[in-house]
Amino acid sequence: MREGAGLLLRLDAGRLRGAVRRPRAGALAGVLLPLAVLAAGLLVAGPRLQPRVDDAEGAVLFGLWVGGAVGFLAHPVLLRPPDDGFLRRLGIPAGALYAHRAARVLGLTLGVVALLLLPFASAGTGLGRPLAVGAAAGLAAWGAGLLFLSRAALALARGGRAGFSARLMAFDGGLVKAAPLVYAPLYPLVGGAVGAGFVGAAPGVSVLRLLAVVVAAVALAALGARLFARALPRFAPRAAEMAFEPPPAKGSAGLVTDRGLARLLPRRVAAAWARDATVLERRFRWAGRIAWPVAVGGTVALLRWGDAEAVRSWVAAAGAVALAAQGAAVVGLGRVERGLRWIDRSVGLGWGARLGGRWAAGLGLAFWLVFPLALAWGAHAPGGPGWAWILAALAVSGGAAAVSVSAARR
Amino acid sequence: MEDTAVLEVRGIGKAYRKRPVLRDVGFAVRPGECVALLGSNGAGKSTLLGCLTGDRLPDRGEVRVCGADPFSDPRAAAGCMGVVPEKPFLYEELTVAELLRFVAAARNLPERVAADEADRLLALLGLRGAEDLLCRELSQGMGRKAALIVALLHGPKAIVLDEALNGLDAPSVRRVVEELDRRRAGGAAVLLSSHDLELVAEWCGRGILLAPGARWASLEGAAWEAWRAAPTLELPDPPAAA
Repeated sequence: MREGAGLLLRLDAGRLRGAVRRPRAGALAGVLLPLAVLAAGLLVAGPRLQPRVDDAEGAVLFGLWVGGAVGFLAHPVLLRPPDDGFLRRLGIPAGALYAHRAARVLGLTLGVVALLLLPFASAGTGLGRPLAVGAAAGLAAWGAGLLFLSRAALALARGGRAGFSARLMAFDGGLVKAAPLVYAPLYPLVGGAVGAGFVGAAPGVSVLRLLAVVVAAVALAALGARLFARALPRFAPRAAEMAFEPPPAKGSAGLVTDRGLARLLPRRVAAAWARDATVLERRFRWAGRIAWPVAVGGTVALLRWGDAEAVRSWVAAAGAVALAAQGAAVVGLGRVERGLRWIDRSVGLGWGARLGGRWAAGLGLAFWLVFPLALAWGAHAPGGPGWAWILAALAVSGGAAAVSVSAARR
Repeated sequence: MEDTAVLEVRGIGKAYRKRPVLRDVGFAVRPGECVALLGSNGAGKSTLLGCLTGDRLPDRGEVRVCGADPFSDPRAAAGCMGVVPEKPFLYEELTVAELLRFVAAARNLPERVAADEADRLLALLGLRGAEDLLCRELSQGMGRKAALIVALLHGPKAIVLDEALNGLDAPSVRRVVEELDRRRAGGAAVLLSSHDLELVAEWCGRGILLAPGARWASLEGAAWEAWRAAPTLELPDPPAAA
């Protein structure tokens, strides 16, 4: 098993070398640029975003940030890597696949912790305690994520009846079926908070408590290995079928090129807009869904506690993350479009029309996120220009559209 | 289950969102055989092959690859099978040579033997000289050839090809067929899904014909000979009642 995992890690190193040898504009623009922007944002806004880790309560808050990010990132790495089918067909043992993916998730976890330490670094405060609390949160979230995502995969692979928690999402049949996976990221979120709270409850840096978290995290991860091995053969085909899209509810009426604001645009731009908006809505549905909790939660928070600077900072951070995620979806649209550009070329859809259409589609996606936030900010948050949200949406969707169109290549 | 079958499917059923695609399909492929999997687009060929390769879960029925269930003993099934899926996966960031070295190591093949075999297959498929190209730089046909080498490198007993010869130039198709014939003579079995009916009629010894509505027919003996005379994707008429 160790040999197999080592082989896969060497494969990663080889792929990384290949990517460095011949870097792609899409990878640079889609991965490195957003990462650099995020890091720069954290550095610049550091003191305002920096959670207090002096006491257990602040540590728990920091742990929630770390745990949430780890839970979000662990799912695709552990359960849905693009080479999953290829590696399974090569007969690589499940234990080796698990160990390799656990190492990848650990690497990402450490990256998340490092990123979230940037505000502390830029504020010039000591890094010892934030590092201990962040590491505890990351490790606990890592162990909990591996265990509970594997458990969710096993539950999904086995099938069976939807439980009470699944039926709570009866408004969406797809979510009911995927309920174990929908709820699984909550465990690393809680794990991160518990790990951070446990270490943060002691004054200073408690090495003993940190060691206890390490042991617990490794134990959770080891438990996950058995569940993962049992889930693996049936999970991937089951998940692939869940991704099978039924015909859209509105049928082909979803794509309309000459209605509403589209009439104000040149016909080609309107066509590109309608096409991109339809594909975004069907292929990147999550990008629309993430707007609602942020918009509703942010609006309520601003209306109720908008005069508190900390609340405004957190709403701004949540809105920026959601906006960045939506920008990533627009960039993703360009990546999945590779090889399909011939359609645009053959119908004479030029670069300008494609860019304009995609920008409009990205802006439409961001509208329901930024519009309520802009209104609430402008009306109730003193000193904050609400229109900045609209400008931010224009800038993010415009930048993402440009990256997306260039990522599609010829 | 028959001991001699390399690939065996018994009573497989599969539906997508209550739309049946396969119903009670059963057949076996024995060593040395080439069996064609035929059908129009959307008839269920890739679904059936997916059930064999572990990429699709059958709703009912059993599948065996060299006697192993691909869902309960996936390593044994993977070890004896070479698969070229309809959309083969290649690591874009690796060169062809790096990819093949990885596959040899993952399959635990002796280094020297794997290198010689890879070299032979590269030459056979006209990819010699392309070893140092990144996989993302390969044309569609070259990518399929690389996927074929990945599938054949370990000398599998069961060779499953899903539209694997699409996009290959005619001389390459001929060389692949000759290579597969050599492997069949050595006891390998081939299950081939293809829309090239002439090739299939000439090369394979029998066929499984899938049709829309989860209908299917096994074409062997006289039925296969009749099909070869006039290849079609229509199911043959059922024999009239006496």
